[in-house]
Amino acid sequence: MEPACRKDKPKLNSTPTRGDRARQKSAQQELKQRQRAEIYALNKVMTELEQQQFDAFCKQMQSQGE
Amino acid sequence: MTGPNSPSRTGTSPAKLSRHGRSKSTSSHCLLRCSTQEESSASPANNSSRSPGEEEEKDGGVLFYVNRTGFPIESVTWERMWSHVAAVHPEGQEMVDRIRNAAYLPKHPVPSVPTFKPSMSVPDWLVAIQNYMKALQYNHTGTQFFEIKKSRPLCGLMETAREMIRESLPIKCLEAVILGIYLTNGLTSLERFPISFKTQFSGHCFHHVVLGVYCNGRYGSLGMSRRQDLMDKPLTHRTLGELVAEFESSYKRYQHTLKKVKIGLYVPHDPHVFQPIEWKHLVLNAARLGAQEMRKELEKHGRDMRMKILKSSSAQSPIKERSRGKSLSPRRRQSSPQRRFTHRRDKSPASVERKPPELSTLNDGYQIRI
Repeated sequence: MEPACRKDKPKLNSTPTRGDRARQKSAQQELKQRQRAEIYALNKVMTELEQQQFDAFCKQMQSQGE
Repeated sequence: MTGPNSPSRTGTSPAKLSRHGRSKSTSSHCLLRCSTQEESSASPANNSSRSPGEEEEKDGGVLFYVNRTGFPIESVTWERMWSHVAAVHPEGQEMVDRIRNAAYLPKHPVPSVPTFKPSMSVPDWLVAIQNYMKALQYNHTGTQFFEIKKSRPLCGLMETAREMIRESLPIKCLEAVILGIYLTNGLTSLERFPISFKTQFSGHCFHHVVLGVYCNGRYGSLGMSRRQDLMDKPLTHRTLGELVAEFESSYKRYQHTLKKVKIGLYVPHDPHVFQPIEWKHLVLNAARLGAQEMRKELEKHGRDMRMKILKSSSAQSPIKERSRGKSLSPRRRQSSPQRRFTHRRDKSPASVERKPPELSTLNDGYQIRI
């Protein structure tokens, strides 16, 4: 085969390139960071809810006792 | 937090629906209906070490999910988490949308992993570890982010501990025990052992676990809980009985009645050990034993542990004997079978306080979870 033909031959290998892998990894990292931020924002809200319910329960128990 | 019990929460297939709290399943998504503190979920087929009667006992009526597929969290688990909180929070979907649609969310700082310095005392090191766990925060989301299989070899659990540090996310009590073991590995003057509690509140059973620690004649604990006085305890308790009594006293403040206490064996410091953690070498039925008898058994177990004459059923290493003080415990060559004190009759007047049933109807069925 002529060298020029070899250059024109399409690449059949479909494995991801190093660049693809790096981009995928970067996207995954970003997703993880976003998920972490959302988790902590959610945890703050749910922690406050639990505290409110606990306080209300204690107050109710107190008034029942009285 | 009220536990959702509507049929919509049982959206997963029956095969994945488990009422048991142990994480032994390999299935990806498990809806777990269990008491709050027993971590992770399991499908019955994989849960070979569970006794038949325990499954019903652990059902505290509160659901939580487990992330089994690593990070980033895959979409099914992720969406399930949000569906769950939308169902339990009064503001529901509005609250969810506020967070998920936020263009900017503050970045929660990643706490620095504590590093042990030779100049640090053991109590200081424990405080550093506990502060680190507190900085991760207790997980109130209803989805456990790290799967803990209690029957896994120690080396595997240490890998999960590394993942917890890497991902830096909120944790619950069982994860805290694993993390505590990992962060105290190598500090050979400190012994670690699990302490599990089963309590009752308003007709429901709850489970909790902390990491007991022993050093230089004193006991303490590390852990995470919704309640500040049910996690870390300073290394000041002279006996194991005293430490457990302290927990029992703390539980009473939340109207939880102690039903069972399970004490494990010392966890080896070698993080590459293949044997699993021994979670329940001594099981005490607090409802049937008197306080004095419980203390006696705990003290004996503590002595036996210190004398290193107890051996896990799966232990591979030889028993090491230490001549350290006097012990009245008989010498044992072989592994002692798990001691269960469930059938002793409590001859004292009924020690189980029955809470009035109306407790569960207060405040829309809110239960004080630990």
